[in-house]
Amino acid sequence: MRATAVAAAVLALGGGAAPAQEITIGPQVVLASYREVVSRLRYSGIGFGGAMSVRFHKLSVEAAVTRVKLDTTDGSAATTGFTATQVDAWVAYDVASYASLEVGVVRRSADPELDAQSMGAVRVGARSFYEIGPGATVLFRADYLAAPKFSGGGSASFSLDLGLGLDVRLAGRLHGTAAYAFQRINRKTNPGGTGEIDAPIQETVGRVGLALGF
Amino acid sequence: MIRAHQLAGLTLLAPALLGAQVVQNATLRRAQQAYDNLEYRQVLTLAPAALRERLTGPERARAYELLGFTYGAMDSILKAVDAFKQVVLIDPERQLDPNRVSPKAYSAFDVALRQVLLVRQLRIDSSSFVGGQGALPIRFTVTQPARVVTRAVGSDGSFLIDSGAWNGQVNLTWPARLANGDPVPAGSYTVVVDARLGQNAFSASQPIRLSHGLVDTLTHLTSLPGYQYLPETEVPPQSWRPLGLAFLFTGGALVGTLGLENSSLGSGSKRELAVVGAAALVTGFVMTLRKPAPRPASANILYNHLLRDQIARRNQEITKENVARRQQVQLTIVPLPKPAAGGAR
Repeated sequence: MRATAVAAAVLALGGGAAPAQEITIGPQVVLASYREVVSRLRYSGIGFGGAMSVRFHKLSVEAAVTRVKLDTTDGSAATTGFTATQVDAWVAYDVASYASLEVGVVRRSADPELDAQSMGAVRVGARSFYEIGPGATVLFRADYLAAPKFSGGGSASFSLDLGLGLDVRLAGRLHGTAAYAFQRINRKTNPGGTGEIDAPIQETVGRVGLALGF
Repeated sequence: MIRAHQLAGLTLLAPALLGAQVVQNATLRRAQQAYDNLEYRQVLTLAPAALRERLTGPERARAYELLGFTYGAMDSILKAVDAFKQVVLIDPERQLDPNRVSPKAYSAFDVALRQVLLVRQLRIDSSSFVGGQGALPIRFTVTQPARVVTRAVGSDGSFLIDSGAWNGQVNLTWPARLANGDPVPAGSYTVVVDARLGQNAFSASQPIRLSHGLVDTLTHLTSLPGYQYLPETEVPPQSWRPLGLAFLFTGGALVGTLGLENSSLGSGSKRELAVVGAAALVTGFVMTLRKPAPRPASANILYNHLLRDQIARRNQEITKENVARRQQVQLTIVPLPKPAAGGAR
């Protein structure tokens, strides 16, 4: 079974009592682990990425791009690793001073192409955020991944994305950012029409970086 | 007996005070001395003799006054009244102090005043007002019922202030405006009061200087007295809330991860959550120790908004008021020293 791996779920940072209009952009170091189909097919690795967020009053737009080289871990049945490139985007609207509704997309591709599943999905969910101190915001999000598409075919009726985020203004325009994402996709395939079999995908991503705010 | 002496003393006191002024005429000085020595017969000889000589106005007034006091002391009231009439005709502003002269002399002086048409005690105080919004107060006394015409006479013409029948104390006001509402031109004027009763007439005057100036405009307000802007943010009390929220959010992510892990894939790596969760907890702890972030104080913001509205509204009113004030003229009127006293005509 071919391992696909990937990287990066992205957590957008900020929100809450953030200024009415602000743009942040910056690089991040990415840690990721990836499992697919069975527990022995697992990968982990380190990569880099970048994230950007734009807030205009109650509306916010966030995007992130990550690229992670995922290697097989000890005891893994996989023989080679792969590079995962992931693009995430969210558009959120604040419905309260501490909560937003959001929609977005996720697109993950593997290189070499056949070494892991590439996938794409639409996100629908919500997030909660609080300013826990001057310039420090923590957030938690939960998104449902709707209409997922996989390069190897199959479907997933239940897919979730959880996230934890942190944005701390360190000095002036300089922010420190950290984000965690957990993604579970209950993929099922029907190879040759012999009946559905489970081919779940699970990944965790942690990102730490800096950003400049404008 | 004592009362008679007191009265005599009082009678003597007034001429003595008058005698404090320099008297050049020798006959008048002798008359004054005779009065001081209670030698009334001599006074009745010397004072008329002095009046037949060349005397200044004040000396003539004093000679008649000596006669008036002497006749009063000798109970010749009618003659005293006649003498005092001459005094007030020469010096209309002459005033006796009832506390320092005998009642007989004072009553004779009072009767004399009522029998002569005079305009006395013309008083004009310094005044400053906006043209059309104030007036110059003018006071005088007319000793008999008379037709009184009051005018302001200047180089630009004569302006009627008042015309009417008056008696006694008269209080007038002059707005210093022309018929079209404009203020009278700046310059020197003389307020002339003409009183006429039959063939008798008397005139008194007071020079004044009238000047124009700009009306002071109001300065715009930056604050209302007694009201101050309140801080629009407030710092909440320090609490464990930041750390609690960090725990809550990190715990939510941990519980969600553990609960959603697929059993067939086994337990995944927690290093990503450990890194980010630790960062969140450390941040929460640091924020707990730090001074909390100021939060908007909605009540204060509303109060400041109302205060700003009130100041803006008042400044709009001031702007309108200043536009009107710039079209107005501040009139300042100052009385000048009199060149000469008025007199009977």
